[in-house]
Amino acid sequence: MTRTVLAFAACVCLGACALPQRKTAQDAPLRPGEVLSAQAAKEVVAIGRSTKADVRAALGQAVLIDFDSGYEVWVYRERLTDKAAPPATELVLLFAPSGVLTKMRVTERSPA
Amino acid sequence: MRWAWLCAVALLLPCDAAWAQDDAVVITAVRNPVAKSYRRMVAGMERFEKRHHLAPEAPLRFKLLPRNRKTRMEGVTVAIEARSFGTPLEVAPDHTFTVPRDAAALKEDASVMPNRKAGTMTWRAEIRTPGLPPNTRRLGDLRLECEVGMEARLTSNTRPVLFGLIDALAREGPEYCHRASPRYLFFADHPLWSVTLVSGARREVLSVDRLYGGASRDPEWKEDLPYCDCEVLMDRAYFLPLGDTSWPDDTLVSFEYMDS
Repeated sequence: MTRTVLAFAACVCLGACALPQRKTAQDAPLRPGEVLSAQAAKEVVAIGRSTKADVRAALGQAVLIDFDSGYEVWVYRERLTDKAAPPATELVLLFAPSGVLTKMRVTERSPA
Repeated sequence: MRWAWLCAVALLLPCDAAWAQDDAVVITAVRNPVAKSYRRMVAGMERFEKRHHLAPEAPLRFKLLPRNRKTRMEGVTVAIEARSFGTPLEVAPDHTFTVPRDAAALKEDASVMPNRKAGTMTWRAEIRTPGLPPNTRRLGDLRLECEVGMEARLTSNTRPVLFGLIDALAREGPEYCHRASPRYLFFADHPLWSVTLVSGARREVLSVDRLYGGASRDPEWKEDLPYCDCEVLMDRAYFLPLGDTSWPDDTLVSFEYMDS
């Protein structure tokens, strides 16, 4: 009897080890256009200096809206926590036709 | 049989053209023009009178806007075209105009017709309170613009399902404007960087989701663009929380432009 109980316990332990660990949403890799902190992301770019290549290297791929005029709007949104409802706090960047960052803003998430 | 008819018509066409040339007929009408129903526009004018308290100091005008890249706005004329008569309307340099009331035009179910083909222009109501600070609009004016625009059916989207939700515009009336976040497109005077609502000490910068036709939430936005009357005005397009009554009609809608 004791042997059976020990065998069962060992199986349970081994089974638990074999199961994939449940990850939270916060552990997942950032998706395109996603940042952990819009404010922190804002600190690593500079108006009048940062180019599109600089920003892509620092923050990754953005949600991009390009216009015939040559201006481009790039959007990064903070990853929402499990309980938070959209919209997320967002960092919005404007690139002039020259390719240099010309305006940026962080829009805080409106309270639900 | 159908091909035979088409060939016959094709053979007749050069004769018709030659006849027109010989008689020096000047044709000013446009085939398949970008017309609106006069009755619908009058219904929009009646809506404006009924709800004028939203913008008590503003007059109503209608505005023509370019609909695609080839559209040239210079020399645009507009007329009320009925079965038995036509009445030219005066178009201001900013492409706005007023529509007079005319019982005969109503009776004949006339059209309001610019000298441009369908798909080249779109329409909006233009309701501007005079004397506002530069680069601002008044929320009550824009609420009424939406209601008049929906009543007169001024928007010109050509696909029923567009950007997910715009199809509602094809079916809804002015009540659509009372929703918290209707997707009725407004167009600023210049390409937009940001839109801020200001009421006393309260300020709110609108999310980028409300700019550029909601493109930041729609990965397919470029594919939908040819069907939207925002096609060449995408960088000026914005939505407003028209039905959010916590923002009074006197709320200023303040614009910062890309090149400012």
